[in-house]
Amino acid sequence: MKKQAVSKTKRNAAQSRRLFYCLIPFIILCFLFSYFPLHGWIYSFYDYKPPLSLSQCDFVGLKWFKTLFANKTQVAQMIQVMKNTFAMSLLGIATSILPAAFAIFLNEIKCKWFKNLVQTLTTLPNFISWVLVYSVAFSLFTDSGMVNTVLQNMGIITTPIKFLDSDAHTYLWMTLWSMWKGLGWGAIMYLAAIAGIDQELYEAAKVDGANRFQLIKNITVPALAPTFFVLLMMSVANFLNNGMDQYYVFQNAFNKEHIQVLDLYVYNIGMTGSSLSLATAISMLKSIVSVTLLAIVNFVSKKTRGASII
Amino acid sequence: MKKKVVGILLCAALAATTVLTGCGGSDSSSKDTASASDSSDSGSSDELLTVDVYDDQANYQGIQSGWFGKIVKDKFNIELNIIAPNVAGGGDTLFQTRSAAGNLGDIIISSTENGRFKDMVKAGLLMDMTDLLKDKDVMKNYSDAITKANENAGQDGVWGIPSEISSQSPEVSADGIEPMVAAYMRWDAYEAIGCPEIKTLEDWLPIMKQLQEQIPESDSGKKTYALSLFKDWDGSSMVAAKNFCSLYGYNDTGTGFVLAKADGSDFQDITDSDGIYVRALKFLFEANQEGLIDPESTTQNYDILSDKYRDGQILTSLWSYQGPSYYNTTEHKEAGTGFMPAFIEDSAPYTAGCYSEGNAKVVISIGSQAKEPERIAEFIDWLYSPEGVECAGQANGAAGPEGLTWEMDGDKPVLTEFGEKALPSNDVTVPDEWGGGSWKDGVSALNFKTVALVDTDPNTNEPYMETMWSSVLEKNNTALDTSWKEWADGAQTTIEYLENKNALSVAAGTSYTQPEESSDITTLRNQCKTTIVDSSWQMVFASDEDEFNAILKNMQDTVKGLGYEDVLKVDMQNAKDQAAAREQTVEDYNNSNSDDTTTDEETTETPEATEAATETPEADEAA
Repeated sequence: MKKQAVSKTKRNAAQSRRLFYCLIPFIILCFLFSYFPLHGWIYSFYDYKPPLSLSQCDFVGLKWFKTLFANKTQVAQMIQVMKNTFAMSLLGIATSILPAAFAIFLNEIKCKWFKNLVQTLTTLPNFISWVLVYSVAFSLFTDSGMVNTVLQNMGIITTPIKFLDSDAHTYLWMTLWSMWKGLGWGAIMYLAAIAGIDQELYEAAKVDGANRFQLIKNITVPALAPTFFVLLMMSVANFLNNGMDQYYVFQNAFNKEHIQVLDLYVYNIGMTGSSLSLATAISMLKSIVSVTLLAIVNFVSKKTRGASII
Repeated sequence: MKKKVVGILLCAALAATTVLTGCGGSDSSSKDTASASDSSDSGSSDELLTVDVYDDQANYQGIQSGWFGKIVKDKFNIELNIIAPNVAGGGDTLFQTRSAAGNLGDIIISSTENGRFKDMVKAGLLMDMTDLLKDKDVMKNYSDAITKANENAGQDGVWGIPSEISSQSPEVSADGIEPMVAAYMRWDAYEAIGCPEIKTLEDWLPIMKQLQEQIPESDSGKKTYALSLFKDWDGSSMVAAKNFCSLYGYNDTGTGFVLAKADGSDFQDITDSDGIYVRALKFLFEANQEGLIDPESTTQNYDILSDKYRDGQILTSLWSYQGPSYYNTTEHKEAGTGFMPAFIEDSAPYTAGCYSEGNAKVVISIGSQAKEPERIAEFIDWLYSPEGVECAGQANGAAGPEGLTWEMDGDKPVLTEFGEKALPSNDVTVPDEWGGGSWKDGVSALNFKTVALVDTDPNTNEPYMETMWSSVLEKNNTALDTSWKEWADGAQTTIEYLENKNALSVAAGTSYTQPEESSDITTLRNQCKTTIVDSSWQMVFASDEDEFNAILKNMQDTVKGLGYEDVLKVDMQNAKDQAAAREQTVEDYNNSNSDDTTTDEETTETPEATEAATETPEADEAA
């Protein structure tokens, strides 16, 4: 410790070069996985047909970008897709308060083994892939699934309720599924933040006669606020990246109108419809919107909190 | 200090591994070429050669095992590693990634439509087989078909060999005994309600309802349904609805939105409100209103549906390989229960004709990067030989290897005891000297028909398809068969029955392939396709007629807005070109056969064989 501090103050040139060498692998990784793939953007300017190499395909300029807005129906479809994306992202952000609340309440449980049990059980779903989540949903909610069978046997319903293959409350269902999967995992960061709160604050408040709710209101919540805001802003920047695997596994002919978010739309066009050039064009537009959103959020953060997040 | 050095070394190691794994592709390919040059140096067939087969017809991925694998290994010392995009999933993704790497496989079995054949040749993925096949039988026997198929390649040379080559007239059904679709239903129930006449498609609904009343529960006690659908195979339209159109002789051109009648007399836009496709959707909608459709149709897949058929939970079927093949076990047939085809008076089921010029829509080729192409060419040549067809064609109805599943009894081929148990693809243990394992798992996974299976096998003088053998037809005398034959006025097979009724739409087989289309059209097509397929499902399960019509209207408006007209124009042209090609093929065949009497004799042999077969069971019945 002491030695390091000394060398830092010396600002030894050899030392900083060595540190730079340590950094190199990560710079390479960052370049390989974040910047190198960007060269694929070139496909959006070509009429790319898979067995042929790019040099054998025609250069078409901005044609694919124009196709996106070629006619009213295209635009209407795009608007519907953006609506779905925004709706699900907004619902996601609106519910992002829940992991914080969950963490606070979990922290209040004094029985240690029970607390650990709850935490483990709620964190586990995060490690289950969406494909498996869907197969669980499938066995529970199809026409001959557990829920329908139980309801029918109890005489509550006569015809099975269509949970999966209907367009009713698609947004809500999707939000519930992602909450079930992500709640415990999302709470981990808040639990860490809570653990970092100075215990003397609590002791002092207790001496002053504060009850549990007052402790939460006046100490825990204010201490968690910075963490919450950073996470919130990052999720705003990721507004358009609300993932596709969840929606991919749950999509069908009946709910597609409301489940098709931007990433899924890109996949459906590019992979299922094999129009790779068009799909690239759409995802490029998406990146541009994401970067713009991030810049706006950063600006707002600077103005309001006095600290930028990037 | 020492620690820091170690740290730096670790970092360097990490960086090195990252870079190395990043370039893994080129690394392994250089290894490949090294091994290829090694083996070509030695040039002996002693060494086991693993051949990667990129096969977009296959439904199995991995090393070919079991009895077929053993035959190939014993004969050629080749092991087939099948790469199947159907199994890998993700549509065209596997094709795209493999072709981007410049090596699809050593053997390539691929569809050629929409300019794919030309593109593969242009991209340098295929090998010119001209020299490799020069002295091979396949070239001697099928040079016309091969030349014809390679007209689409865009370059001179032999780049692919077409499939399903036949010596019969394009107007003879290539399906053997059962057409692509027919109105199969549970015969026991249909008989119990007195085999009522079905005048037209819609008349089938009340009968389906009665079937459901006759058999309210499946073998395992589940509620039965007349119809059950699945979505796995939906293409440009909902397959479940398109099948009903095929009952009336319509089919699409592969990817198009035009349904063409087999004889080329009618071409319909599938979104047309008065068209046959919308009629089929309406039929399914009404069936659903009546409670005839399995509510799980929207979520289940083909495998789940197959299990339902095995359990007897579904009472009608349009495909012979679904209802009949899953439910008509010997026990069921002997008890008089099972699927048999009824007849809708105004229908004319679609069946594909023989490809006298070969089917150029699916070809087999050698990959440009193939190791030891000579050995691969020998293997392909064998696939087209009678023995190759018998063995590799088993997946599609041929009998399998002589001596194991069948033998000659005098001048007629008969199934052995083992063959009767094992065919068509049952879970029966194969004797060890034939490779062991289960018969079913050992069947050729190539799923590639080299030669039409209704053609005559020179080794037996009967068709390759064992279900058409006179000895096999004679044995169709279970309670179920006899009762159906009585109803069918003595017809032996579905095809024969429909031919007698003059109600079989044979689409003449041609080497026509859909030409390349611009990528604008492809993009539009895919967008329209999604709308049409999704709307079709919604229409069938609509809550009332108003909703049905509203979804239909919405679908028509949406596709029109996207630019459907342009796509339709292309499809209509393709459908008409295909019809013209069919006419041309029939004409060519007839002309060439009037000059050449020997081939004529050959082609008439098969119908004779089946006719001969018709007589014998009658004698059986009398006895």
